[in-house]
Amino acid sequence: MSIKMTDLLVIGAGPAGLSASIEAARLGAKVIIADLNMKPGGQLFKQIHKFFGSSAHHSGTRGIDIGRMLLEEAKSAGVQIWLKSTVIGIFPGGKVSIEREMDDGTTELVTLMPKELVIATGASENAIRFKNWTAPGVMGAGAAQTMINVNHVKPGNKVVMLGSGNVGLIVSYQLMQAGCDVCALVEAAPKVGGYAVHAAKIRRAGVPILLRHTIIEAKTDSNGTVSGCVTAEVDDHFNPIPGTEETIDCDVITIAAGLKPTMDLIKLAGCKLTFDGPFGGYVPIHNEKMETSVKGVFVAGDSTGVEEANTALDEGKIAGISAAEALGLISETDADEKRKEIWNRLDSLRMGPFGQRRKIEKEHLIDLYNKEVKEQKAFA
Amino acid sequence: MEKFYDIVVIGAGAIGSSVAYHLQEAGFSVALLEKKDVASGSSSHCDAVGLICDKLPGIDTKMGQASIDYFGVLAKKFKYDFEYNPKGCLYICETKPEFDAASEYCAKQNADGYPLRMVRTKELTEMEPYIAKDLYGALYTPSSGSVAVNPYKLCFAFVHEAKELGLDCYTYCNISKINTNAETNAVESIETNYGTFHTKKIVDCAGVWAPEIGKLVGIDIPIEPRKGTNLVSEQTPQLCFHKILEYGYMMSKFDSINFKRAVSPLVEEQNIAFNLEYTMAHNLLVGGNRLFRGMDTRSEIETMKAICERAMRFYPKLRDIKCIRAYSGVRPFVKDHLPIVSDVDSVPGFYIAAGHEGDGICFSPITGKFVKQIICGEPTDFDISKLDYARFEKSKAMAS
Repeated sequence: MSIKMTDLLVIGAGPAGLSASIEAARLGAKVIIADLNMKPGGQLFKQIHKFFGSSAHHSGTRGIDIGRMLLEEAKSAGVQIWLKSTVIGIFPGGKVSIEREMDDGTTELVTLMPKELVIATGASENAIRFKNWTAPGVMGAGAAQTMINVNHVKPGNKVVMLGSGNVGLIVSYQLMQAGCDVCALVEAAPKVGGYAVHAAKIRRAGVPILLRHTIIEAKTDSNGTVSGCVTAEVDDHFNPIPGTEETIDCDVITIAAGLKPTMDLIKLAGCKLTFDGPFGGYVPIHNEKMETSVKGVFVAGDSTGVEEANTALDEGKIAGISAAEALGLISETDADEKRKEIWNRLDSLRMGPFGQRRKIEKEHLIDLYNKEVKEQKAFA
Repeated sequence: MEKFYDIVVIGAGAIGSSVAYHLQEAGFSVALLEKKDVASGSSSHCDAVGLICDKLPGIDTKMGQASIDYFGVLAKKFKYDFEYNPKGCLYICETKPEFDAASEYCAKQNADGYPLRMVRTKELTEMEPYIAKDLYGALYTPSSGSVAVNPYKLCFAFVHEAKELGLDCYTYCNISKINTNAETNAVESIETNYGTFHTKKIVDCAGVWAPEIGKLVGIDIPIEPRKGTNLVSEQTPQLCFHKILEYGYMMSKFDSINFKRAVSPLVEEQNIAFNLEYTMAHNLLVGGNRLFRGMDTRSEIETMKAICERAMRFYPKLRDIKCIRAYSGVRPFVKDHLPIVSDVDSVPGFYIAAGHEGDGICFSPITGKFVKQIICGEPTDFDISKLDYARFEKSKAMAS
């Protein structure tokens, strides 16, 4: 079996992975970045809205443009970008196997032995279970966003959105821009979860926001696809109140119920995990270098706790610098200085009611690492 | 906390849960201690067939048949369904030399009254429409000598039925010490995170972990972990209609037979023995191999590739079916390929039922019965003197 060597393999070409590979390649590392999608950029390419935050964090720039910029930088830094390349496993001996689709449509299994590994696999959408939740027409809000903004396919005509966080609000608006009729936005909590500015846009467009409501059933037609949505009011314990059911005519139900970090490969690499509610589920504990309990395995972005593209970009940079340091391409002092600057910038991002919480959680992960990881495991 | 039991059984895999069931049924008060959860070790990282056609003619086959028959009895008796599914088995002979060797084996089994028979290419491809068309033939075992069960549910069934009879099962139980009598060295108690269990009898059914328990009473149990890997396919229409195994592996496995399969270096090095099973959940289980890797149960990419390569040789259609995951487990290997089912002379009250390697599921019903018979002082259904732990002490003595 042929095995290829490389300095650094980055798994996931989203904002975290791309920025990690750019930093490491600029410092002289031979980098391969693998992603299962047809296009790099992760979720950036569906983010046609402008970012919030400080100018150091691309405020006012659309996600899609940040994606393009990163891609150019990665290319000019000499990063090899492998698309349609699915990492199928991390195996004993530090072997990473990738099923790679070639230009002629055939697939090839390539096994790499990277000296360092960055896992930036992002997060996946949570589901909410109600009757017929698996019927065609029920989908994640992120999936609907990919359909309209990346693939230019309308998921349907009449949409009911469940969840009023920023994803639920922004995607509802973008669905309207794509020509869908958003019939209602359903939220179990007594108030809207996302930013008021996004909620105001939805309200102005005349979309009813049903607070203290949930979806209890998807109605289906004779083909088994969605033809309606049964909502109900909920009590203080989020239980549906009998007798309050109402049916909304629709052909799509989108669920914006948060994300959970994608742990499969991180687990396979043998990294020590902890459960962290505010970060969305199980996450790897790591140090200030973004290195896990396994030596040479770094993490960045949503797979270390669900946040946003800006924090992912910065964590990716730290992981890239640390990988380069492990390769001996930059001194510890220089690497520390670069990391410190980024951590300071990250602190400025992790402010406000949501941000402060994430700062606490991040520090908690690093504390846990310092307490529990006395000696790193070898990546083998 | 102090607890008192007639017998403590250690390990809730197929063997331990069967032993606990049989002892509880015999009227003893029994505690079943398990380090993790029921069926969390080898019994959930295996495939699950009981066969007579992988056993040597004579007593091995007799015991295999008795255990297979016993599955049928238990399936009727138990309220808990363990997916008992008798289905025929085909041992594929790739070449004429394999077919000839299998024919000889078949003749011996026929002489003992087992209804095995040889099939040639034409009949084989009728029985298995998706199999490669260039195979020489196969050894066919009808469902009377070949049964599939769900190995998880088998363990759950034994534990469930035993609990109905009064068994206490302690999961996530860590054993720190076994106390023995200062004069007689007889078993007295076990110290655990659940407190002290006072008992005069302990049955070590911990499989690959049995040596760890043995150490606590100062004995050396020569069981080594041997890793096996299986692949799971996506759900697919029925691809095979029998339990399928390759005969050539059986031949190359025994050193006495000077036989080499015409396989790639990868298949050889990974020690692949092709087997295939269509499960009740409509996935295929594709195996398998045996390697010594200590307690490391991570699947290896080379093994997975080699299994695929060998499997596609026999079922070319597998090329179009996706593998969704792989799992590996450790089998309790004993050098002479025989389990240890006996008492231990130097430690009165200490019994071992472990080391079944790939036969643990198949032999679990009858092993439970044997242990009950040994402890009750009854004659065992078969002469199991060669399963005695003393055989290792004898060979040690001879060596020194």
